[in-house]
Amino acid sequence: MSNTEAPFRISIPDDELESLKQKLALTRFPDELEDAGRDYGAPLADIQRLTNHWKDTYLSKWREHEAKLNEDFPQFTRDIEVDGFGTLNIHYVHKKSTVVDAVPLLFVHGWPGSFLEARKILPLLVEDSPEHPSFHVVVVSLPGYGFSEAPKKKGFGVPQYAEIGHKLMLALGYNEYVTQGGDWGSLITRKIAQVYGPKHSKAWHTNTPIGEAPHPTRRPWLLLSYLLFTLSPKEKAGLERTKWFQEKGIGYFKEQSTQPQTLGYSLADSPVGLLGWIYEKLVNWTDEYPWTDDEVLTWISIYWFSRAGPAASVRIYYEVSNQSPEGFARNIETPIPVGHSYFPKELAVLPRSWIKASNPTLVFESEHEGGGHFAAHERPEGLVSDLRKMFGKGGPAFGVVPGKTGYV
Amino acid sequence: MSDTEAPFRISISDNELESLKQKLALTRFPDELEDAGRDYGAPLADIQRLTNYWKDTYLSKWKEHEAKLNEDLPQFTRDIEVDGFGTLNIHYVHKKSTVVDAVPLLFVHGWPGSFLEARKILPLLVENSPEHPSFHVVAVSLPGYGFSEAPKKKGFGSTQYAEVGHKLMLALGYNEYVTQGGDWGALITRRIAQLYGPKHSKAWHTNMPLGEAPHPTRRPWLLLTYLLFKLSPKEKAGLERTQWFQEKGIGYFKEQSTQPQTLGYSLADSPVGLLGWIYEKLVNWTDEYPWTDDEVLTWISIYWFSRAGPAASVRIYYEVNNLTPEGFARNIETPIPVGHSYFPKELAILPRSWIKAANPTLVFESEHEGGGHFAAYERPEALVGDLRKMFGKGGPAFGVVPGKTGF
Repeated sequence: MSNTEAPFRISIPDDELESLKQKLALTRFPDELEDAGRDYGAPLADIQRLTNHWKDTYLSKWREHEAKLNEDFPQFTRDIEVDGFGTLNIHYVHKKSTVVDAVPLLFVHGWPGSFLEARKILPLLVEDSPEHPSFHVVVVSLPGYGFSEAPKKKGFGVPQYAEIGHKLMLALGYNEYVTQGGDWGSLITRKIAQVYGPKHSKAWHTNTPIGEAPHPTRRPWLLLSYLLFTLSPKEKAGLERTKWFQEKGIGYFKEQSTQPQTLGYSLADSPVGLLGWIYEKLVNWTDEYPWTDDEVLTWISIYWFSRAGPAASVRIYYEVSNQSPEGFARNIETPIPVGHSYFPKELAVLPRSWIKASNPTLVFESEHEGGGHFAAHERPEGLVSDLRKMFGKGGPAFGVVPGKTGYV
Repeated sequence: MSDTEAPFRISISDNELESLKQKLALTRFPDELEDAGRDYGAPLADIQRLTNYWKDTYLSKWKEHEAKLNEDLPQFTRDIEVDGFGTLNIHYVHKKSTVVDAVPLLFVHGWPGSFLEARKILPLLVENSPEHPSFHVVAVSLPGYGFSEAPKKKGFGSTQYAEVGHKLMLALGYNEYVTQGGDWGALITRRIAQLYGPKHSKAWHTNMPLGEAPHPTRRPWLLLTYLLFKLSPKEKAGLERTQWFQEKGIGYFKEQSTQPQTLGYSLADSPVGLLGWIYEKLVNWTDEYPWTDDEVLTWISIYWFSRAGPAASVRIYYEVNNLTPEGFARNIETPIPVGHSYFPKELAILPRSWIKAANPTLVFESEHEGGGHFAAYERPEALVGDLRKMFGKGGPAFGVVPGKTGF
């Protein structure tokens, strides 16, 4: 297979910047009910402020933001062939540690995430120190996200996303590697573990661990209510969070898994529509993370300027739901060691006993007092520390990649 | 209560027309998967064609469309006070029959419907004939729809919508009346029946009848699957349609009932976003209705140019779900006669036995071989035919409004 790797720098054409500005200038806002707070969705005051900042300030500084992104993220593209889907040109970040035998690690994002989520953990992971292991880091942009091409055919599901991640690691010379993922990244790295482990994938870590029945997606709430009396306060709070998500936070999921194209017209055409759709998650899914307007707008701009357009990013929900009508909390076991980080504002926070029962190869657990769904962005030190403990000397996954322990 | 009624004509400003054109000209379309068909949502080719037509042709003829709307639908506004919510200025259609003692009928639309849904049934309902009853027709624009104001406070639910409909009828001098409604109109006219019947609301008719347990919104699908072996082919097809809706067609409902403001940013700002969101329903919820582009765009334009903006229209899902967490298929009984029309492409099609069990005052039923959710628009003759049978001489609801038999 020929090496199609090419260095990549984000470089949004002037006419795209101009188009976005024009659209923003024509924004028509809805009104809002009195005292709506966040109950009805993303608050109007936030959205208006962000929209105006995007239009009046952020975009005129785009080239600075872009330069900083390119500085923080050494990026590349290369062609990856996917069985039945042809060749996709995949965008990724690749940063090697100065430690030659660093542990090769593939980081996989989800929705509404992107390669951007690795921004803070990247320098920490590659950092050289006798105190902790170092990693060579690959951050893939899933097909349909960031600057990766999207599949053109129907049926691109978890096995295909896993194939991309795996083949990318092989193409970069990492025949054996470990993975870290949350959200779709968790499902995908789990699939990588099942399909390519233990031969290639040696261990995996997730910040969105799940367990099976009695599982909230099957909703025996009467049972859960009964169980609430036998759970610890933390576990009860976790189930309440889970219940909130399943009842109040699931609308986007239902639409994206049934009519992604319909939603796609709004996401592709309306900057404020895209902003609202994603910003609501940035707030509701995090643990009071103090988003700056620039942070939010960089996050959204990646979606707005993405190679495949924002509508492509939501098709994964349709494909995976179609292929897994029984739900995602099945077939959880993997043949390789797994590590979990538990953050209190994750979306499915299940009793530890349920999680352990579904993950017989669980070798590492770490519980955090704060943090939510976007762990790498919200709690980079917390997450990296967990990876260092799991893969470091004395840790349960130390040396899983032969010859690449992460130390000098 | 002072009479604040004023005649109303739709008259969209040049500014608004120009803004819409500008936005349409800047439309950024998504791509689409090969062979997606309608599986992933509204098809790209349709949406592109409609968008371009909207921009290049339809809007330049808007004044003609507007004039025809104003001609077909005599409109008014008046202030209606709603307990706890202050005064809302309500838009409605009001057309009297030449038959003095016509039956007063309130028609209530749903989402993504509007007063427009009454366009075809209006002339049929008011028509004078010895063969069938005539009606005085009121088609209210629900608060947040058409050219009615929207509530500003939280908590405006089915009780409040019912209050608006009832008070409007009283204000128009119809102390006693009947109602017809589908979608939210079914819930609202049912509420009117419960709150204001039999004193004011005398009988009600719906094209979206419901029944109780085992109910699809509680989803005991294993039970339903078992039952499938005991149902007629039509009933099986109906349950499959219902299942399709609950599994594939429910995304909009979940988003609108939990995060309507989030969705509202898209609907308010993006004409193509609004078009896609609603057009998908116009196709999926009807029985192969041959929509013309003009029809679709008039429908969507009413939403785009609505007084409260399209985001206001979806809040009803949040409010009613919040107030009714146990679901909509409860508290179905009413103290007045009810009539049902069954259309095969409705969204919830339940076995007749379940419906009858939940509707003890059911006096009229009519089954149709074709037609879907927007019955008044798709099958106007059929729907009016049913109303004429229900309320006509020899019908089960003949003379329910004393002195106003429709003849």
